[in-house]
Amino acid sequence: MAVITYLDAISQGLRDEMRRDENVIVLGEDIAVFGGAFKVTRGFLEEFGADRVIDTPISESGFTGAACGAAVEGLRPVVEFQFADFIACAFDQIVNYAAKNYYRWGIPMPVVFRGPSGGGFRGGPYHSQNPEAWFTHVPGLKVVQPATPYDAKGLLVAAIRDNNPVIYLEHKHLYRRIKEEVPEDDYVVPIGVAEVKREGSDLTIVTYGAMVHESLAVAERLSREGAECEVVDLRSLSPLDRDAFLTSVRKTGRALVVHEAHLTGGFGGEVAAIIAEQAFDALDAPVTRVAALDVPSPFAAQLEDAMLPTEEKIYTAARDVLEY
Amino acid sequence: MATENPASFLDPALDRTSIAPESAIDRDQLVTWYRTMCLARTCDEKLGALYRQGKIVGAVYLAVGQEAICTGVVSLLQPDDYFSTVARGLAGWFLRGVEPKHVIARWLGRDVPPSHGRELGLFLADIEHHGIAPYHNGSMASWIPSGAGFALAFKVRKQPRVYVAFTGDGATSPGDFYEGLNFAAIHKLPLVVIVENNCFAYSTGNAAQMPVENVADRAPAFNIPAEVAFGNDIFEVRRVAKRAIDHARAGNGPYLVEFKTFRTRGHGEHDDMGYVDAGLREFWERRDPLRLFREYLAGAGGLGEAGVKAIDDECAASIEDAVAWAEAQPAPAPETVTDRLFAP
Repeated sequence: MAVITYLDAISQGLRDEMRRDENVIVLGEDIAVFGGAFKVTRGFLEEFGADRVIDTPISESGFTGAACGAAVEGLRPVVEFQFADFIACAFDQIVNYAAKNYYRWGIPMPVVFRGPSGGGFRGGPYHSQNPEAWFTHVPGLKVVQPATPYDAKGLLVAAIRDNNPVIYLEHKHLYRRIKEEVPEDDYVVPIGVAEVKREGSDLTIVTYGAMVHESLAVAERLSREGAECEVVDLRSLSPLDRDAFLTSVRKTGRALVVHEAHLTGGFGGEVAAIIAEQAFDALDAPVTRVAALDVPSPFAAQLEDAMLPTEEKIYTAARDVLEY
Repeated sequence: MATENPASFLDPALDRTSIAPESAIDRDQLVTWYRTMCLARTCDEKLGALYRQGKIVGAVYLAVGQEAICTGVVSLLQPDDYFSTVARGLAGWFLRGVEPKHVIARWLGRDVPPSHGRELGLFLADIEHHGIAPYHNGSMASWIPSGAGFALAFKVRKQPRVYVAFTGDGATSPGDFYEGLNFAAIHKLPLVVIVENNCFAYSTGNAAQMPVENVADRAPAFNIPAEVAFGNDIFEVRRVAKRAIDHARAGNGPYLVEFKTFRTRGHGEHDDMGYVDAGLREFWERRDPLRLFREYLAGAGGLGEAGVKAIDDECAASIEDAVAWAEAQPAPAPETVTDRLFAP
């Protein structure tokens, strides 16, 4: 097994599926000749041709709608939004067309929307957002957010093979920073199944995406101080694996919910509510959240660091929950 | 009160108060098209009545006055071509085999396929049985991009099929109209856009919607051919639409046809059309597409008044039967509300 980056794992999963199934096509801005702003599709045009690797005009709603139509007709389009922020331009086609189509008429729409998301690299207000909660509020969409190369590949393959629209949010700050061994052969990480990334008995950290890594670092630090954290990586937000974190919270009695998106209306609120409703008796401390501040992503390093959840903020919150 | 000058809306060169085909058409064909239009008109009038009786809840939206366009265009399609339209194209659905009883049952919210009470009678998609492709209705422009997507799939698979998007004048203002046609034109996709310009987007007249005289004047932005024609003459609709469909099917890319017509009922039956000038109503009343077709058939078409009346009576009886069937269908069970959110 080769050690590859998170970015290469996404490329590999996409390329393997295109080799396996000629119905898989990719479309987006600058993805063909240029290979994508982040080079996820480098070499794809040469291998698969212009019919399957399509440079689109700058018109997110237009090419998203086109992908939806092509999906109904049996293609399996993977749409790349150059930055997840730009998905706002295609919001109507996703939430009013893709999400509702099967419920309205029983007609499947197998389409994947890839959104390079997340901050931490000084992208400013329009290149740093985490829009998952826009979509978890919409019934009919599946939403996944991998944290590791293994999950990135396995979830992408699962998303492409799924007969429903899937929002696949890949964190840009993990692209070249995170590496691990990834099998070269075919495998799937099932959508809707969380994973315990670290076992522990004193505190459950429920998290996903980039914050899995910060949470694991905090867990190691706390372990040296004598407290064992269990880190539950949701991987899929919709459908949500409730049992995974409820089982963990019933074991540890303490829950910290961590994500990089904004606090208010963020997905962590849903997780906290489920824990409060279904594991209240097991709790020894209030369910606590760590998330980005409720301001747009600022550009200057000092401001962005102040806005984002950091290892230090997670550590402090974890100590508070442990010592409650 | 907004007013529209009929003379400026409809080029006098396109106008007509009687219709006839350019060359002989098989009588069975004529009867099929007339019956389809008449059935749609009769069904619409019944839907309006059911709404006023409180049997259809919410709102109901009728197609009265626009029947010739969808009938003429859909009559030209091959069985594996797709089209999308809301119930403003009711006759087009019927021509593709959708039965009035199913449309009425859907308006009544009954547990019938394919929606099982989850969607209004206004919207229908059923690819498997009728080649009616799914769309969304956030705006009627939204299925120009998805139509381009269906057409893309045809092109990628090298299939000689076309997708026809029926839309309206109001739908040529949102960005999706441009984004979809732009994409289709770049890739020369087999997309035919039929714009039914019925004078009003809900209550807003053309002059407040667009700075051009015709929707078709917008086509040069996409470097695609476009035509303006009179939409209440089924023979004219077929003549013009055939050029569009042949063009798209031959791999030459999208084609836009704007048919001038008039919505003789409100946007929905809750709309009293107080914004429509009496002169405009009268102008279009004389040009009602069913009336024009009926006059031709009863006269030069050779059916005679008795022959045409027999079809009218048959449609009326058939809609009564359809209502009885629809009312007898079960309502969906509340416990099924969360079923079928995701495809297996």
